[in-house]
Amino acid sequence: MKIEIFDPALCCSTGVCGTDVDPALTKMAKLHTDLQKSGVDVNRYNLAQEPGAFVENKTVQQFLEEKGADALPVVLVDGEQRLEGRYPTKQDAAAWTGRSEEDLTPKEPKNQISLN
Amino acid sequence: MNHRQLEPSDFHHTYMFFTGKGGVGKTSTASAAAVALADEGKQVLLVSTDPASNLQDVFGLEVGSDPAEVPDVPGLFTVNLDPEEAAGRYRERVVGPYRQLLPASAVASMEEQMAGACTVEVAAFDEFTQLLTDDSLTSQYDHILFDTAPTGHTLRLLQLPQAWSTFLEENEHGASCLGPVSGLASKKEQYDHALGALQDGAKTMLFLVTRPEQAAAREAFRAGRELDTLGIRNQQVIVNGLFQASSEDPLAQAWQKEQEEALELLADTAFSYIKLAPWNVTGLEALRAFFQDQEQPPAPEIEKSTAAGGLQDMVDVLQTRERGLFMTMGKGGVGKTAVAAETAAALAASGKQVHLTTTDPAADLSQFEALQSENLRISVVDPQEAFETYKEKVLREAEGSLEESELAFMREELDSPCTEEIAVFQAFAALAEEAEDELTILDTAPTGHTLLLLDAADSYHRELLRRHSPQADAVEKLLPRLRDPAYTMTAVVTLPEATPVEEAARLQQDLHRAGMYPAWWVVNQSFSKAAVTDPMLVLRAAAEQPWIERVTALAANVVVEPWKTADRRTLSQAGSGAGL
Repeated sequence: MKIEIFDPALCCSTGVCGTDVDPALTKMAKLHTDLQKSGVDVNRYNLAQEPGAFVENKTVQQFLEEKGADALPVVLVDGEQRLEGRYPTKQDAAAWTGRSEEDLTPKEPKNQISLN
Repeated sequence: MNHRQLEPSDFHHTYMFFTGKGGVGKTSTASAAAVALADEGKQVLLVSTDPASNLQDVFGLEVGSDPAEVPDVPGLFTVNLDPEEAAGRYRERVVGPYRQLLPASAVASMEEQMAGACTVEVAAFDEFTQLLTDDSLTSQYDHILFDTAPTGHTLRLLQLPQAWSTFLEENEHGASCLGPVSGLASKKEQYDHALGALQDGAKTMLFLVTRPEQAAAREAFRAGRELDTLGIRNQQVIVNGLFQASSEDPLAQAWQKEQEEALELLADTAFSYIKLAPWNVTGLEALRAFFQDQEQPPAPEIEKSTAAGGLQDMVDVLQTRERGLFMTMGKGGVGKTAVAAETAAALAASGKQVHLTTTDPAADLSQFEALQSENLRISVVDPQEAFETYKEKVLREAEGSLEESELAFMREELDSPCTEEIAVFQAFAALAEEAEDELTILDTAPTGHTLLLLDAADSYHRELLRRHSPQADAVEKLLPRLRDPAYTMTAVVTLPEATPVEEAARLQQDLHRAGMYPAWWVVNQSFSKAAVTDPMLVLRAAAEQPWIERVTALAANVVVEPWKTADRRTLSQAGSGAGL
C-alpha cells in the first residue's frame, strides 16, 4: 500500500515560508510524519522542487494537462487517483490502510519537562 | 598607541574577508590588496558577494559570474556572486528541463514559487560555500579575497553556516523551509566545512574595515563581537581614511578632532590604518598607490558651489501632504537615518504631525530618541521582535484549526531562517498601511536587503491575489502604495564619491524596474557645499564635482547637504524646533 501526494509548487512543505501560513499545509506535514512513523509508505512531491515525479507519473501528468497546476494537490493510492484539490485527513488514511486512527498516531513522549 | 600603517604584507592568508559598514572602503582595500598580491606573482581570486557589486567601479570593467582575469593584472581574477543572478541560474537549472514536459500552468507556478527572497538567499549562500569548499576551485588560487556585502547582510551570510547547521541538526522533519535548495541536508557537510574554513585562523583572516568615526567604529566592534561568538576570532581592524589637518580651517580641525575621539573607542584594539587619499580610489594606478604615502598635489581653485538647494526644499513639498510615506533609500553609511530624522524633525518643528520609523537593524537609536516631541512619534521595527510577533500571530491564527501536536510541529517549523525575512517584510507592509492616516518617515534597511524585499513583493502580491487572504491586505496593497507618487515619496541618499553614486544609480534603476520613481536625490556630506579651506579638503571638494554633476543628470530633484561634524549631522537645522 503506497500513498503519494503531489503538492502544488510550494516554498516549503509546511507552508511556513508563505506570506501567511496555511494550516492545511501544517496539518498535512504533521500527518505525513505521523504516517511515516507508523510505518506507512507515504511520499510527498513538491512541484517546485521535484517536478520529475510529476512527469514520470502518467496519471499525474495527465491530471496536470487536463486541469492545470491550480487543481493540485492530487493524491494517489497504489497509483490510482483518490483525491484532488484537498489533502487527505487521518480518517482517509485509516480507510486506505485499514488501520485505526489511533494506530496511526505515534506515541508522543509523555513526561516532557517545560523549562518555561 | 598600538596601531601602524597598513602594509601589503598584512595580506597573507588563504581566505580574506573584508567586512564593515557600507562606504568604509572595503572594496578599495580588498582590491588594492588583491592587486598587490597578484603583482607579487600570486594567483588571486577577488570575490564580490554584494547584490550591487562595486568591483566594476573600482576596476573600470564588468565583473561577471565566472572568474575572469583582469587584463592589466596577470594572476588577478574577479568574480561577482550576485545573489539575484545566482538565484536566476538556480531557477533555470530546476525549471528549464521541464518547460517542454509540463503544462504552462505548472511551469508558471514553479517559477513563481522560486521568485521569492528565500531562493535568492539560499542560492547565493550555496555558491558562497562552494567557493570555500570546492578543492578543485580553491587549489587554483593562492589567495581568495571576499569583498563582502554591507554588514547586516554579511553577518547573515557568514552566520548562515552556523544557523543552518544547527537548524538541520535540530529539525527532525528535514529542513522544510530550506526547500528551495533540494537535497539541502545532503549539503550539511559542505556547510560545516565552510564554517570550519571561516574559523580556521591559519587559513582565514577577517578584516573589519572601518572609518575613523563613531558610528562606523561601533559597528565594527559589534560585527567583530558577533563573529567572535560564531568562533571566527581571527580578526584584524583596518581604519580607512585617517585625516590630518594641515591648516587652521575650523572644519578641518573639527574633523581631525572628531576622528581622534572616534579612535578612542579603539584604544584597546590593535589596528592598522590607511591615510585619507586626496582623490577617490578608482583605477589601477590609484590601487597600486594605495599603500604608499601620497604626495599631496597643490590645491586647485574651489569650483563654484552647486546650485542645488538644501533639505528644506524637500521638506516644503512634504509640508503639503497629510498622509503617505517618505522613504530614504541607499547603501549603509550614506546617512539615510540622518536625512530621515532631519526631515521628520523639520516637519515636526513647523507643526506637522509625523511618524518617524526605522527598519534598519544597524540604526543608531540615540539619534532618533533625541528628536521625540509632541508632533513627532518614533518607532523602531526590530527584526528579532518582528520575528517573534509574527510567529505568535501565526500560531494564534492556527490555534482554532490545529490540534496541540500540530501546533507544536508548526512552532518548530517557524523557527527557520526564512521566516524572519517574511516577518520584517510584513512589518514594512504594515507601516506602509499605517501611513494612510499619518505622514510616515521611513529610514529603510540597507539597499541589498530592501531590494530583496521589494523584489519579493511582486511574487507575494501574486500569491496573495490567488489566495484571497483577508489579513494580508497590507501586503497586497504594498506595491501599489509604493508606486503611487502621491502616496510615497522616495529620496535616494548618496555621498559625492564614485562608488556611492554608482551604487545609487543602480538602486534607482532597480526601483524603476519595480515601477517606483524616486522624486529626490540627496547628496550628503559635501565638502564643496561647506566652506572648506584646508588644502586636503579643497582637493576632496574638487574631486566631488564630477559626482555631483552625475547626480544632477540622474535625479528629478537634487539636494546637496554640506559636510557636518557628527554631532550636528542629525539635528543641525531642525534642532531648535524639535522640542529639545
